[in-house]
Amino acid sequence: MPPASQRVDLAAVRALAPPLLAVLLAFGVTGILIVAAGKNPLLAYWSLAHGAFGSWDRIAVGLNRATPYALTGVGIALCFRARVINIGGEGQLALGGLAATWVALHMVPAPRPIATLCALGGGVLAGAAWAGLAAGIRLKRGVHEVLATLLLNFVGLLIVSEVLQGDLGEPGSGFPQSPLLPAASWLGRLVRGTDLHVGVLIALAAVAVGHVALWRTPFGFRLRILGASAPAAAYAGISPARALMSVMLLSGGLAGLAGAIEVLGVHYRLIDGFAHGFGFNAVAIALLGGLNPLAVLPAGLFFGFLETGAVAMQRAVGVPTPLVAVIQGLTMVFVLSAMGLTAGRRRV
Amino acid sequence: MLRMLGITKSYGSVRANRGIDLVVPPRTILGLLGENGSGKTTLMNVLFGLVRPDAGTITFKERPLADHTPREALAAGIGMIHQHFMLVPAMTVTENVMLGWDAAGRWLRPAAVAEHIRTASHRYGLDLEPDARVGALPLGGQQRVEIVKAILRGAELLILDEPTSNLSPPEVSGLLDVLRRLRDEGRSVIFISHKLGEVLAVCDEVVVLRDGAVAGRARAADTDRAKLARMMVDRDVSAPIAREEGAAGAERLVVADLVASDATGVERLGGVSFSVRSGEVLAVAGVDGNGQAELVDVIAGLRRPTRGHVFVDGADVTARGVTGRRQAGLAHIPADRHTTGLVGDMTVSENLAFRDCDGPPFRRGPWLDFGAMRVAATERIARFGIRAGGPDVAARTLSGGNQQKLVLARELTRRPGVLVAAQPTRGLDPGATRFVIDEVLAVRASGGAVLYVSTELEEALVVADRIAVMYRGRFAGVMRRDAVDITRLGLMMAGALSESPDAAALYGRKAR
Repeated sequence: MPPASQRVDLAAVRALAPPLLAVLLAFGVTGILIVAAGKNPLLAYWSLAHGAFGSWDRIAVGLNRATPYALTGVGIALCFRARVINIGGEGQLALGGLAATWVALHMVPAPRPIATLCALGGGVLAGAAWAGLAAGIRLKRGVHEVLATLLLNFVGLLIVSEVLQGDLGEPGSGFPQSPLLPAASWLGRLVRGTDLHVGVLIALAAVAVGHVALWRTPFGFRLRILGASAPAAAYAGISPARALMSVMLLSGGLAGLAGAIEVLGVHYRLIDGFAHGFGFNAVAIALLGGLNPLAVLPAGLFFGFLETGAVAMQRAVGVPTPLVAVIQGLTMVFVLSAMGLTAGRRRV
Repeated sequence: MLRMLGITKSYGSVRANRGIDLVVPPRTILGLLGENGSGKTTLMNVLFGLVRPDAGTITFKERPLADHTPREALAAGIGMIHQHFMLVPAMTVTENVMLGWDAAGRWLRPAAVAEHIRTASHRYGLDLEPDARVGALPLGGQQRVEIVKAILRGAELLILDEPTSNLSPPEVSGLLDVLRRLRDEGRSVIFISHKLGEVLAVCDEVVVLRDGAVAGRARAADTDRAKLARMMVDRDVSAPIAREEGAAGAERLVVADLVASDATGVERLGGVSFSVRSGEVLAVAGVDGNGQAELVDVIAGLRRPTRGHVFVDGADVTARGVTGRRQAGLAHIPADRHTTGLVGDMTVSENLAFRDCDGPPFRRGPWLDFGAMRVAATERIARFGIRAGGPDVAARTLSGGNQQKLVLARELTRRPGVLVAAQPTRGLDPGATRFVIDEVLAVRASGGAVLYVSTELEEALVVADRIAVMYRGRFAGVMRRDAVDITRLGLMMAGALSESPDAAALYGRKAR
């Protein structure tokens, strides 16, 4: 028998091979589409790579972009592990941003870390509350959480629009956005001269905490049993209601945190539609990462860099940005198909 | 009639069939015996065209049968009746017989088919009414619908896979009569079973498989249970079961007037009271579906009763959940080890721990101690003789018997005061069954109280100090071990007899 470390390495390689192959396939198929559009795919991909990694600044933008993906993706991965289908990341993230904005604008002046922490905390609470509302509707009224979270997305996004038209809007800006937040509430920069903000570290920490919670604590064990077999969970004395509520609160809190970081670290104000696409892409990222918190990180980075590179690709070669959505979609299809092939070997 | 020679089939490195010869003469009932994994299923799948053998030939009615599909097997005259019936409950007997039957013609002629059913029913003693709705028939009746389907489709060789597992004793003897009449009318039957008594009662010849090869064959008249059992397992499982007779002690499990309904609101448990004492096994017999599952679920804390109480060692646990009852000393072996008792995709060590994660040794502060789980698993694998590739393999890779050993290892290591075991030997071969019974009796010997639910009367009689029969959510009767009357038990299981048991039988007090 080979030594333990070598066996682990082999297992890791086997786990990583399908998603990497899927990504390559997706790029290949999209390349054909680029050729069909009359452009040079190699040039297009070179400019994509250049746009994503061409300078420290570009890398910082990509990392910033991946941050809300990783945060929200970890929460959704934990939900899906327990077969709790939370697709309300969009709304939870939007309300997290809204709450952070409100706290930053209304709190008494405070020095930097305190103001930032209060605003972030507001985002966490709002996201958790929004997810908890969906969980409550599920538990008290029997409305399936898919429906409850999906519908609350619309409500959440419209609340943000509504508030920006009214109390929280910047007078005279002509665009639905809040005034610039006080600088004390901004997230600190990590590297001078780039946009890289501290939120990236928070996302890393969340990934680590998600991993430890899922694989090392009774809480994660309960989620995994519940997801593998509801009757076995009942037999183990697990309360499905309590598990549903707690994992939804956790996931909503992470999405709310992502929204707050997006506001406090990137825009410095609340902009209508800032949450657009994050919630649903996070579902894709959680699945892409095989519902493993650690694997959600590379999946989130992939989406983040792909999207920042896409803008450069469009500018340089004239390939329309929607083709990036095609790459994302194809990667998903290929990865999930590959997982279907190896489903029997996955660890629950 | 049927001649299978040198049938060989491997799945990877597992050799499921190793050169099996099986010959079924005309007008014969052949018993096919063997433990789980001995190759019975593979052999029958080869015969029915579901699996292609690596080597070997099949001749049926002097004609070779090779590379055939199940459809061709049917057309040639081989009929298979599975353990789980392939019937549409909402349709009548006639409609079920016509379903998927080409010979019924392009236009449906229910009257003509009904006439065929009546004729066959009369000839073989099937007692079937063509216009009856299948869902309203008892399981024995549904099985006879399957038989009439096969006969009308021209089956001259019928294969019955574990046909008696869901039947009450009177239904079993009815089925055996039907099989004898089929034989007398010139057909042959392959009777696959674990139950030696039934095989000896009805079969002309017996073939025993072990590890994918024929371990022995005999004429039923020339053999007996002990010989067959030895051929099956190659170790003595017929040795008398060690059972010390001791006086029962204090009441450990008390159930008072339990009433419960199923998910649709239908009452499945209609007021059951009894107690089980220290050092005692109360077996609950009865045909499946008479409220045994609900009784077990209510006692285990998986279902809320609408009325009544459950006491463990004097403490009222009715309001407690699963965890609270486990802490009170209640262990539970659930009937369905695949979805409830185990999580197939999790490892052996996780499965051995998943009911005990609320405290040491598996939980330390906020962490699960996977190292401790693995150590405990290795120890239990050795102590219970679980054949597994180690603590880190998925539980689903284990055989049925070893999976049940996992459940036992988890529940019994806790040294429970009360054990509720629901059909703990279902689907297990004699070797594993014996293991389970020995472990259950060990709990009894160490002063535990055991509630043992089984649909196998024979097995219930082996373990029980007292035996109760459940019928339609109530106890139709309770008998002490020394006063068992098999005929009366059979009548109770069929619902033909109900007697209100006296307190001594219900609560296990010594009769004076």
